[in-house]
Amino acid sequence: MPLSIHSFLKPTVAALAIAGGGAVCAQGTPIDAAAFDALVAQGPVASAEAVAASPWASKIRQAGTLRLGGTQTSNLFSLLNEKDGRLRGFDAGIAQLLTRYILGDASKVQFTQVNSSTREQVLINGQVDTVIATYSITPARAEKISFAGPYYTSQAGVLVKANNQAIQSYNDLGGRKVATQAGSTGPAILAQFAPKSTVQEFQTHQEALDSLRQGRVAAYVTDYTLLLNTLSLGTGDAKLAGAPFGAQDPYGIGLPKGSDGVAFVNAFLKKIEADGTWAKLWTIAIGQRTGSTAVPTPPALP
Amino acid sequence: MNRSLEDILFGAPTPRARTLSRGMSVVAAGVLLLLAAGIVWRFHAAGQLDARYWKFFAWPTTWAFLAKGLLGTLASAAMAAVIALSLGLVLLAGRLARTRLVRWPAVAAIEFLRGTPTLLLIYVCFLVLPSVGVKLGTYWMLTLPIGLSTAAVVAEVYRSGVLAVPRGQADAARSLGMTEIQVFFSIVFPQALRYIVPALVAQLVIVVKDTTFGYVVTYGELMQNARVLIANYHSLVPVYLIVAALYCLVNYAISRASRRLGRPMH
Amino acid sequence: MGEVAKLLADHGPAFGQALLLTWKLTALSFVPGVLLGLGVAMLRLFPLPPLRWVLTLYVETFRNIPSVALLIFIVFALPDLEFVIDYEPSVVLTLVLVCSAFTADYVRSGINTIPGGQIEAALSLGMRPARIIWSVVLPQALRSVVQPMTSLLIALMLSTSLASQVPFPGRELTTLVSKIATDSAAGMAAFAVAAAMYVATGLLIAWAGAALDRKLRILR
Repeated sequence: MPLSIHSFLKPTVAALAIAGGGAVCAQGTPIDAAAFDALVAQGPVASAEAVAASPWASKIRQAGTLRLGGTQTSNLFSLLNEKDGRLRGFDAGIAQLLTRYILGDASKVQFTQVNSSTREQVLINGQVDTVIATYSITPARAEKISFAGPYYTSQAGVLVKANNQAIQSYNDLGGRKVATQAGSTGPAILAQFAPKSTVQEFQTHQEALDSLRQGRVAAYVTDYTLLLNTLSLGTGDAKLAGAPFGAQDPYGIGLPKGSDGVAFVNAFLKKIEADGTWAKLWTIAIGQRTGSTAVPTPPALP
Repeated sequence: MNRSLEDILFGAPTPRARTLSRGMSVVAAGVLLLLAAGIVWRFHAAGQLDARYWKFFAWPTTWAFLAKGLLGTLASAAMAAVIALSLGLVLLAGRLARTRLVRWPAVAAIEFLRGTPTLLLIYVCFLVLPSVGVKLGTYWMLTLPIGLSTAAVVAEVYRSGVLAVPRGQADAARSLGMTEIQVFFSIVFPQALRYIVPALVAQLVIVVKDTTFGYVVTYGELMQNARVLIANYHSLVPVYLIVAALYCLVNYAISRASRRLGRPMH
Repeated sequence: MGEVAKLLADHGPAFGQALLLTWKLTALSFVPGVLLGLGVAMLRLFPLPPLRWVLTLYVETFRNIPSVALLIFIVFALPDLEFVIDYEPSVVLTLVLVCSAFTADYVRSGINTIPGGQIEAALSLGMRPARIIWSVVLPQALRSVVQPMTSLLIALMLSTSLASQVPFPGRELTTLVSKIATDSAAGMAAFAVAAAMYVATGLLIAWAGAALDRKLRILR
């Protein structure tokens, strides 16, 4: 499956580049803003009893805004368009649909930028109500906070520069410098699959990408979907080395430890998966932009 | 007003010296222009002068976005400055107290806050305090440590100003029957302030610089908005250059404002 | 206290290494920074307007730029201009540049405390300006800036906490505290130990600086 995505991808991006002019190459296909906004604006809204039954949701309802921890700089999952101030992407869509579900209005979000190092702490500190930021569910994290979902799964992939012949897969990473995101599952995956590599941890996806482009590292190991959108780095192309590997990485929605919001958010996820909103969001945020047409089935909820 | 040392050293040159220095100036200017050209060429060779890396700076939305970030920076800096200036006064009072019971804790507090890095204090507010139950808001997690750290330095600056005021002033005031508080606030402190305004403003600049640690506690300020622009346009060098220039301009303007006020200590 | 004892048992060597790394970064940045700053201050004396203008620009830039912004520029933006500098040298370079700007400024005010009459006397003795700078100006300027330079050294030591913001090989004190605080519940104890180390180092430097100042300063 992934290999066929890959073979769709290069010609698609190339065609779009020719059609859309140079700017496209720098950031991949931009998201269809109108379709995204329309999808989010007609998401489901919870009934008053459902909200009242959950203290976590009621608190948010009373406050009038959902305090969200997320990212503004992730191209596929959540990118801030500074011209209209709107966040768009897969994670951003889930967050805004959740906001509309609780508050009836997708725009009542109070946003806080988090990164891999601060994700747990902002939930522990009560700085945000929830964290939606390509947040992998791991037992270590589950000790400090609670997860709803999973709402998405992915595997790890290896990104290298297009002219790199030496690295064909994760097996060739020994003795090389590899970038990964701090606090993500990357370090653990590298410890397991490429223990002889020298790992450099970065706070954000963007910084890790830049380090690859600038030659500080030979490869970047992170979520495969993130890599699919990054095949053009701006001043030098990149390619995927090998197929996705490692265990299926489930993304969850971070909530304070022991919060009853888990059940509430899981009910919300079940709803948007059942009525096709999840699939539509995937198509708009990921599918159309990586040349994949086969919509995956959403992961099973506990 | 004394002539500066350079004027005395190189003033009144002989005609030969004058031609020499004019010649050297031309050479120096030439070398610097070459250097500047070299930098511009390097930008060009690395592809950093491409329009796609700069064109978004022509849009007002970009500047509005950066201005929002700057507002976040200044909001935190202003409150931290207020905390520093007022808490500094309290610490000063403790530092100048006659009784050891009050003075020693004040000295300890000042040495502790001065002697630890502001970044460490910020980490404490973010990572450590919540585990003992103290959960500040995001804004305060940045502003409070900066304010505390600077308050200690400000207290010492206040003290150096107070010590620079001639003793006779305080003695004369006391002989007129003024209370200690009146002596301090009406006679000593206003004069002290005029000596130390440049040093205080230097602390204000440091406060603005410290706000760049906002992302450690997830506070949104100018650097964060710079990162969003970079994620959108992949334009690292131009964005970071412009943002660095913005910081320099803001801080320079603050420092300049101080030159209007206050006189040096000697 | 028991917490601190347990912490030292678990992480004692790490704290020792972190302290040494902090001292090493401080020394590595202070020496070149001061030398560079001295050079800038001396060069600023020459009556060449373009030179003075550029050096003033240099000093004002590196005095006013936040160290984090400078470090991020060196680590993440310079490579796009084909200057890839490794992480530890990047941190040292940042601190050196900032240190040199402040040094240049302090030395300049030190120079301005020298009475003009000395220069005039030296000139009338037939000394060349370069010789005057080397034998008359520089020694006195250095002796009168010991106190602000001591503060600068302490500030530099505290600024080594900057290394926690890039993928630095090895952990200095602040990085160590944030790691311990994230991974365990011993954050408070770790902070107490690190703070004690920072404060103790600072007090040592301050004491040494005060002693040096008392010996060297010029009473006018």
